[in-house]
Amino acid sequence: MRLTTTNVTRRSAITMLGGAAMLGLAACGSTSGGSSSAGSDAATTESASSDQLEPTSGMDFVVGFDQEYPPYGYVGDDGEYTGFDLDLAQRVCEIQGWNYQPNPIDWDAKDGELNGGSITCIWNGFTVEGRENDYTFSDPYMLNAQVIVVKADSGIKSFGDLAGKTVITQADSAALEVLQGDQADLAATFASLDTRADYNTAFMELESGAVDAVACDLSIAAYQLAQKPDTYVQLDDELSSEHYAVGFKKGNTDLAKAVTDTLKQMDSDGEVEKLCEKYSDQGISYSNWCLGK
Amino acid sequence: MTIQTMLSMLFGGFQTSLAIFALTLVGALPLGVLVALARQSRIKPLAWLMRIYISIMRGTPLMLQMFAIYFAPYYVFGIQLNPGSKWTAVVVAFIINYAAYFAEIYRSGIQSIPRGQYEAAEVLGYTGSQTFVRIVLPQVVKRILPAMGNEVITLIKDTSLAFSIGVAEMFSTARAIVASQVTMLPFLFAAGIYWVSNFVIESLLAALEHRLDYYHE
Repeated sequence: MRLTTTNVTRRSAITMLGGAAMLGLAACGSTSGGSSSAGSDAATTESASSDQLEPTSGMDFVVGFDQEYPPYGYVGDDGEYTGFDLDLAQRVCEIQGWNYQPNPIDWDAKDGELNGGSITCIWNGFTVEGRENDYTFSDPYMLNAQVIVVKADSGIKSFGDLAGKTVITQADSAALEVLQGDQADLAATFASLDTRADYNTAFMELESGAVDAVACDLSIAAYQLAQKPDTYVQLDDELSSEHYAVGFKKGNTDLAKAVTDTLKQMDSDGEVEKLCEKYSDQGISYSNWCLGK
Repeated sequence: MTIQTMLSMLFGGFQTSLAIFALTLVGALPLGVLVALARQSRIKPLAWLMRIYISIMRGTPLMLQMFAIYFAPYYVFGIQLNPGSKWTAVVVAFIINYAAYFAEIYRSGIQSIPRGQYEAAEVLGYTGSQTFVRIVLPQVVKRILPAMGNEVITLIKDTSLAFSIGVAEMFSTARAIVASQVTMLPFLFAAGIYWVSNFVIESLLAALEHRLDYYHE
């Protein structure tokens, strides 16, 4: 998927200001490095250094997730963070004795957050394909596909009907990667391919008629279709199929393995299947679970 | 989700917005004075440094400055971040950004005081700092109030930028509820809360302007 001031004399104040200005300059000078690393092809050069995390009981396990990404991570009816992936993460932490901390992030800042160490992992319907070299992943646990959703009354039935239409997807998303890569020929037939900050805005635009189609994950499509079954239809053709896994900072293999093993254990205990049933009305199906099968 | 849950979540987020707002004013209002004075300093390198500082702060997006301040410790100096660093980064970014705007407003006020007043004060035996504090400053405060009002109101709305580095304030809370509940109601509530709080600020500023307008009754 997608992705303070104290009392000072005038002289010392002036010294201080000079220092502040230098800091400001240094900060701005670093932006090029900082923001390019926060972009799509991050984490390839830095990483694999001394700051490896070892799985230890009682450690903080900060889960970075997009709070606007149901059913994987979102705000529940009671106002607490919930979702399929967050439930999985919480249970893994309980079993491992880690301190579970859900931490909503801005999707565009995920690489900086992960490399900087403010989050332990990205666990949020996180697509492996195309990101293999950028993160250390757990074993894949879910199958996913990239699909196209249109309005029910649009008359669009297949990829061919999308010629000359306006298609949008989420910025930095797996759907966008596919449309710029393997499916670039198809994307070339669109009138335009634009991106939005989040899928919810994208679907608002689709519903209001501002755009013709939204390219997104199977689960996102299923969630939106479940909410408004008469409004949208999903095309039968798939753009691509892919896998979800938990993404760690490059080099954190021990932590990734610990999560993989715990997920396998939860699956053989039948916990995963129960969790899939809990979220079945939001498009999660145990038939798509692929870890340990 | 009930309307009560929705509103309590939005007000929870609004407390974060208000905290950013208050800390920014506490930091940027005095820092702006220092920047404005340094900007007009007779020490040329200092004045130039301040011009560059103001230029960068006004000439680049606040969102980008937050990114730079948040991530620079790691990407430039290799210091590991922790979940508390984003809050510090947001507050520092807002303070140094708004101080630049405030400094220019202060300067416009200071420079609007006629040269003759300084000469008159000197004849009457006032020292430089006495002239500034007792004669210039009270007039400056009156003159810059409308312009400061603009910035203060903008500040309330700018707090919504904080989520770009993950500080969940009211607007991001509204977006999260919109996403999970598939309703536009949180946006409406958020708009209402922003407007009402800015209406309160406008009223306070209007009252202050009226109180300070003692020569034009």
